[in-house]
Amino acid sequence: MVHLSSALLRRYHGGLVIIRLALGGCTNRPFYRIVAAFNKRARDSKYIEQLGTYDPLPNIYNEKLVSFNYDRIKYWIGCGAHTTKPVAKLLGLAGFFPLHPMTVTAAERLRKLAAQKEQEASGSGTEEGQGKEEQRQEA
Amino acid sequence: LLRVAKCPVQVCRFLSPRGSVLIETVRGRKSRNDPKAKSKQDRVKVPPPIDPVEMVVLKERYTQYQMIMRALRVEFKEQIMRRRYEEEVGSRAEERTKHEAEEHRALMAWNDAENLRLRQLREIRVQKEVEELAMKREEAIGLQEEKRRKILKEKEQEILQLQEDVKTFITLENLDQRIEEALDNPKNYNFAIDKEGRIVKRTAIP
Repeated sequence: MVHLSSALLRRYHGGLVIIRLALGGCTNRPFYRIVAAFNKRARDSKYIEQLGTYDPLPNIYNEKLVSFNYDRIKYWIGCGAHTTKPVAKLLGLAGFFPLHPMTVTAAERLRKLAAQKEQEASGSGTEEGQGKEEQRQEA
Repeated sequence: LLRVAKCPVQVCRFLSPRGSVLIETVRGRKSRNDPKAKSKQDRVKVPPPIDPVEMVVLKERYTQYQMIMRALRVEFKEQIMRRRYEEEVGSRAEERTKHEAEEHRALMAWNDAENLRLRQLREIRVQKEVEELAMKREEAIGLQEEKRRKILKEKEQEILQLQEDVKTFITLENLDQRIEEALDNPKNYNFAIDKEGRIVKRTAIP
């Protein structure tokens, strides 16, 4: 059984390095590590290097904590690593990458929904008011 | 017909606390040839509705984003190459070689000094050892001489003693004289002694 070293592994695999979130933690308590790993590896198995963390549950000050090792992320992206969508979104929010388009569109959609709901609430309120006035006039 | 194909996803054991249940996910209850469920036979899967205005805006944003990402990648690659180049061939390399050469010289000088010091110590030690050896040898010789002298003295003493003893020996000429002397003076070696140490020489037995 040949024990492949990392250089040989890269050549053997075709070498797709990805920066992604590896899930850890306990039941009802997820915790992600931002990790540079080969594409074909399982999500939580051996990675090349850990580049940060992400805690999806907000803490007592209502903050979701994220950490990045910018120097090493630069190195891996320079070596040709790609990121997954959630990692790209997080980095965009952090300011290291440009803001992901989907973050912006999600925010816009939320705003539209909120505006619509307000309109409906005010519209139904004015309609009710108008209906009551008409009733009074009729009466 | 329902074959449960168990291909459990790798479960991270070292982060889960002791005593908790490890859930192994099983993907898909149905195998390839199982028919659709009755409630789902007429279902038509419809993709989510797309707003064309939003789509256009989104496409524009994506093109910009991808352009920026490509530029970033190239930038990072350049940074890495520059760092590597500077490490190997840049100004830092010269400083490093100079520094290393100086260190080497200093260390060699220190080594020489140490060697000199140890050599001097060693010479002193060796000299001392040689002197000690010589002393010991002399002492040994002295002791041997003394032993020889002692033996000689003892031997002389013995000879003198013998010479004196010769006078008391019984020879053929003295034999008759001596027998007569012995018969004339009977000696009584008997005596009595009690526990307090009083000796009594006058005894009943002759």
